[in-house]
Amino acid sequence: MMELNNVLGFPILTWSIFLPTLGALFIWLFIRNESAVRWATLGVTVVTFLLTLLLWKYFDNSTAHMQFEEFHPWIEAFNVNYRLGIDGISMPFILLTSLLTVICIVSAWDCIKTRVKEYMLAFLILETTLIGVFASLDAILFYFFWEAMLIPMFLIIGVWGGKNRVYATIKFFLYTLGGSVLMLVALLAMYFKAGHTFDIQALMAYPFDFDWQFWIWIGFFVAFAVKVPMWPVHTWLPDAHTEAPTAGSVILAGILLKMGAYGFLRFSLPICPDASQYFVPFIVVLSLVAVVYISLVAMMQTDMKRLIAYSSIAHMGFVTLGTFMFTQQALEGAIFGMISHGFVAAALFLCVGVLYDRMHTREIGDYGGVANVMPVFAAVMLLFCMANVALPGASAFVAEIMVLAGTFSADQLYEMVISSKWVAVMAAISVVLSACYTLWMYKRVVMGDLVKDKVKAMPDMSMRELGFFAPLIVLVLWLGLYPLPVLDVIHVSVTHLIEQATTTKLHAAQALAQAEMLQHAVIH
Amino acid sequence: MTPMNFPLPNVVPLIPEMFVAVMAMVVLMWDLFLPKERKHWNGYLAIVTCIVAGVLTMNVATAESVSAFYGFFVLDPFAAYAKLLIYAGTALAIIISLDYMKDEFGVGEYYTLMLFGMLGMMLMASAPNFVTMYLGLELMALCTYVLVGFQRDVLRSSEASLKYFILGSLASGILLYGISFLYGVTGSFDFAEVGAGLAHSGSGARFAVLLGLVFVVSGLAFKISMAPFHMWTPDAYEGAPTPVTAYMSVAPKVAGFVILIRVLADALPSLQVEYVTIFTWMAVLTMAVGNLAAIAQRNIKRMLAYSTIGHVGFIILGVIAGNVAGYAGVLVYMTVYLFMNMGIFAVIVLMRRDGIQGELLDDFAGLAKVRPGYALAMGLYLFSLAGIPFLGGFWAKYVVFIAVIEAGHLYLAIIALVFAVVGAFYYLRVVKYIYFDDKRVDFNFVENRLMQATVVVTAIAVVAIGIYPDPVINICKAAVSGII
Repeated sequence: MMELNNVLGFPILTWSIFLPTLGALFIWLFIRNESAVRWATLGVTVVTFLLTLLLWKYFDNSTAHMQFEEFHPWIEAFNVNYRLGIDGISMPFILLTSLLTVICIVSAWDCIKTRVKEYMLAFLILETTLIGVFASLDAILFYFFWEAMLIPMFLIIGVWGGKNRVYATIKFFLYTLGGSVLMLVALLAMYFKAGHTFDIQALMAYPFDFDWQFWIWIGFFVAFAVKVPMWPVHTWLPDAHTEAPTAGSVILAGILLKMGAYGFLRFSLPICPDASQYFVPFIVVLSLVAVVYISLVAMMQTDMKRLIAYSSIAHMGFVTLGTFMFTQQALEGAIFGMISHGFVAAALFLCVGVLYDRMHTREIGDYGGVANVMPVFAAVMLLFCMANVALPGASAFVAEIMVLAGTFSADQLYEMVISSKWVAVMAAISVVLSACYTLWMYKRVVMGDLVKDKVKAMPDMSMRELGFFAPLIVLVLWLGLYPLPVLDVIHVSVTHLIEQATTTKLHAAQALAQAEMLQHAVIH
Repeated sequence: MTPMNFPLPNVVPLIPEMFVAVMAMVVLMWDLFLPKERKHWNGYLAIVTCIVAGVLTMNVATAESVSAFYGFFVLDPFAAYAKLLIYAGTALAIIISLDYMKDEFGVGEYYTLMLFGMLGMMLMASAPNFVTMYLGLELMALCTYVLVGFQRDVLRSSEASLKYFILGSLASGILLYGISFLYGVTGSFDFAEVGAGLAHSGSGARFAVLLGLVFVVSGLAFKISMAPFHMWTPDAYEGAPTPVTAYMSVAPKVAGFVILIRVLADALPSLQVEYVTIFTWMAVLTMAVGNLAAIAQRNIKRMLAYSTIGHVGFIILGVIAGNVAGYAGVLVYMTVYLFMNMGIFAVIVLMRRDGIQGELLDDFAGLAKVRPGYALAMGLYLFSLAGIPFLGGFWAKYVVFIAVIEAGHLYLAIIALVFAVVGAFYYLRVVKYIYFDDKRVDFNFVENRLMQATVVVTAIAVVAIGIYPDPVINICKAAVSGII
């Protein structure tokens, strides 16, 4: 039995993962009244959030070791274990998940009028699977949560979505499933190669030779690239985002996309360091296409949600770029960017949701002059639009400047076909482009004269709506002005990850192959 | 005069078979004395028979392999576990039949035929040689032909029965022909002796051996509906009364896979290279036919027929793997499949409304708003069939895929997973009807406690196996460890 590192005396990760499910079971069986269902769900998610705050409080910043570990045998026939633990990379995502779920529940309070109970249950189950993904240290357990997430999300988009929801949700499901099955093949193949283990840390340590790394990397890449999503497998995202209910879009943009990038950090980089280095030019090209081309596409959208969806793809392009630069700054910037984007994109979708609840249209052309009737809303939306543009003072600024600076300085570490300085310059273009599409949208929706009658009748935000924007405003500004608390948490883990990702496994693989050959020769 | 030594055969391993045979006849006789409105009592008696047979099997089965009747019958853990699945499949099919039969025909022979069919499957599961195998196979097949055509006034049912009978007879003939080649080369019907004989047969007999292999494999492939011998499946599934479809979809498949594994592992191990090649092509073809053709179906029974074909394509991967993990995977898959499929058929029968059964996909539209419980259960079965985790279907696929990768056929696992994604589409489409669409026709549910309990139990089983599959996997591994 291995030594488990858990400073808290109880299995806090298990509780964080399964409290929402327990709550869902309780609500399913015992609560009938709709308003009681809403309050009970809110209660469960708030308690889960408070529980995950304990992770933050007791987290040890000074080590890259896994913390709050748990271990139970699960399927002994295949050495699949229930192994949980978090480091500085996964911990922020768990907090992000539990916070955004609370916000989602509040945001759906009045807008969801049909099948309220099922909606709330779907969100609670979804929360379980999302936290599970970030807390798993066993590859099959990870895959289990990763795939299970599809069921509630499929229903959320399909039942409560917009007009074209069936097409969007089936596309989302099949794209993601199609990507993930190749990851499953990679995991099963690794299981036999690496001595019958699914332990992620054991896989990180095992010296795969280059051919193995190459194919495993591709298997992972397909799964994660679909989820991120990277160009050209991004086409499910605009549809899914546009058709999903507001809270569904928030979770999609805020957390689901991060799962893909998290997968790169947890699997691709440490398990296949040499293949990752090999594929850097490939990733850089795809990321730049995402950043530049998708920004241009975003500019031409007439649907607000679609526009923000494309903007998300562009921002995730930044994240993948930073992930594969192998510099401390770029990698920290990428992770910080994911957290920041989690808040900003969530807030923008909520803004659209506020408008949608009043007008039931997402077309930019149907609005105009909203500031005249909804001044408070106009101010809030301006703040988040500026954050999306990465204006200094907002969290996104910190992320983008770190990624750009890290990319700029990556030359010393890694030789590429073109200088990484030029990559940084091209990526920087997107900052301008993101300003174009975001502010242009803001101008067309919020500013201008009040000519449309329907817009005139719109009431300003209610206290409930302000209530769920408040934490996001605070967090975006706080992380923009004082990012140190988050950077401190991820710093040591990122250093460790870069060390893993830049240490070649080839020598060890060669030594292992020789040893095996020798053993083979001795036997025969 | 010394008393003649007249050894009694060891009948203990056959007690469940004898019990089922006797009970099938009791059901037939009792039917004569039951008034018309109490005919369904026969159904209850048949269910009790299945349960008692299960208890008997668990009592007579031992960890070792026991042979009886001079090598014409074998009872090992493999057979015992398969029989438990067969009992469960039959009992659930009978539960689904209870209400259906009451209105439709109210004939007692129905349950007798089901029990005799089950007896045939039990013999197949315990067959150590070709003769017992063929006896069991034909007993099962003849009962199924009649059951498929049980609604003799319905043209669709009669047509399906006739098609099934003609094609089935042809397959049986092919199987017998193949057996005759193997017998000709080795001079024995016993699997083990055939296996030993083939291993030592010279190159002169190779052509005959290969013919025998091909014919035997074709005949058995017909019974488990592998492409290209699957043609009867969609017609028979669609035409048969729904409970009979449920009956045909699981229990005979269990028996078919058990006998296939026995034939391959005991009688044909020296031809492993050859049969792996055959099955690899057939598996890919089966997965393609099943999963692609299912997309085009509008009738849920026909869709499930193609879905069964698709799943058979996945299950056969365990046979191709040819190791303990693979054969155990076949049993795990069948166990999970039993619950998923029986649950779906139970819901279909529960949705029956006068004459027009809940058969078209359209009929399911809006189910979630009317009966959220059934909709939830259907959702669980369908996502499980698609192989999404936290449901049993995921582990079913997992065990056969990991086995086939272990055996070195990585490419087969990749092909299978691609078809699994294709397959997910048509399961999702049913979920779409149930959850996303509005009601189009009025629902008229059958209220039957036993059937509703079936839905609850199978749904819970699918979730329970999905969350903690360890016991099932371990039992299946233990069951097959003796046969290799």
